[in-house]
Amino acid sequence: MSEVRVDKISPRTESYISVDALSHRNLIINGDMSIAQRGTSATGLGNGDNGYHTCDRWRFAESGSPTYEFTQTQSTDVPTGQGFATSLKMDCTTADTSLATNDMCRIQQRFEGQNVQYLKYGTSSAQSTTVSFWVKSNKTGNYNVSLVNVDQSRIIGNIYTINSADTWEKKTITFAGDTVGAFDNDNNNSFQINWGLLGGTDRIGGDSSSWGANTDNKNVAGQTVNLADSTDNEWLITGVQLEANTVASSFNFEPHDINLQKCLRYFQKSYIRGEYPGATTNFGMVSTARIQNTVSNRPTNVFFRPILRATPTMTIYSLVGTSGSVSDVGTSGGTHARDEAVSISGSVSQQGLPYLISVSGLTAGDGFCFHYTADAEL
Amino acid sequence: MIDTVEKIYEINDDGTLTNNFSNVYKVVFQNGITSFVPLDEANTDYQAIQEWAAIEGNTITDSGGVE
Repeated sequence: MSEVRVDKISPRTESYISVDALSHRNLIINGDMSIAQRGTSATGLGNGDNGYHTCDRWRFAESGSPTYEFTQTQSTDVPTGQGFATSLKMDCTTADTSLATNDMCRIQQRFEGQNVQYLKYGTSSAQSTTVSFWVKSNKTGNYNVSLVNVDQSRIIGNIYTINSADTWEKKTITFAGDTVGAFDNDNNNSFQINWGLLGGTDRIGGDSSSWGANTDNKNVAGQTVNLADSTDNEWLITGVQLEANTVASSFNFEPHDINLQKCLRYFQKSYIRGEYPGATTNFGMVSTARIQNTVSNRPTNVFFRPILRATPTMTIYSLVGTSGSVSDVGTSGGTHARDEAVSISGSVSQQGLPYLISVSGLTAGDGFCFHYTADAEL
Repeated sequence: MIDTVEKIYEINDDGTLTNNFSNVYKVVFQNGITSFVPLDEANTDYQAIQEWAAIEGNTITDSGGVE
């Protein structure tokens, strides 16, 4: 018979990750910046350009009336030997050395309330969360990171310091859970994480070291860097993980298809990989049967898989990139002949776009083709 | 940024307008892109339309349907 002898059994004292926390532990989607369905570069981002431009799920968020501009790219500049192939890069292209008091710029990710219920906010058991990420900039100094409980308009923030210029550094920050305010249990924006790039004097002076009301002066509290003060400035980030724990586990790399599936809940397009909205291309187009008459409601049979988060904003493009139009291909079968204005109706849903309406200019025997984007972002 | 917003009405197969609002808005953004935004409280572009329309001077175009 086998025998096992031990001298001593001791309790494990270091922090550990529970088995439950290992699956889908990263709240962040596309934390390695590998998915960029909208494009790999967006220029002139500044006043009024809130939204999603390159890497999926990563939102450019500004307020005030700024004069600075950034170019955002999906970059291949990454920390060596960490397994990442891409990063998100913000490159200042128009400088603003004297920010207005209420100017602010952040990069953020937003989360549905139904996906963060397990953080148990609003209870005495509210979970701590830890964010870890790789970051690089030529601008050393203090940068703000914050969590926002959107449903309760509450915020907590912290500071990380870029110590060495032009050097990838890994940062880890733990935030307490919010015991006061619960998240709504729905598909709307309930929770945010923000990385500050700059803030005017009205945005940086508050104390956000513990959960409290989300006042303007806490938006990027403690941020000393103005990333827009020179066109030499750039800031890059990748390997972002936000998890329910007080320690950071190693980055949870996911297969490309799994990562993409998560992104598709928020944004889908007809264009093939590597082709972006507004491009002149036939690849991926929706092609309809030639019409037998000139009725105005045209079946399209576009189905969204997976089902989108909400009824999407639809943008229809002709094959030469004209938004609000389809390509009349006549009887050619797939060659753009001319743009025809188009509209859509209330038939669009989270599931698909059954038909287009008011396709003008088509005559019996014509076919039409188009591209689309379906945007249900938070 | 939003430039113009217009209510879209359902149309008949012969191309004539109905008086049924389609629950979709045609939005032209200042970058020239035309999109169609559903009346869905969870859609962030619909939320942006509501904020835009609340600003004095901004009006949602309603050409109306027909009986």
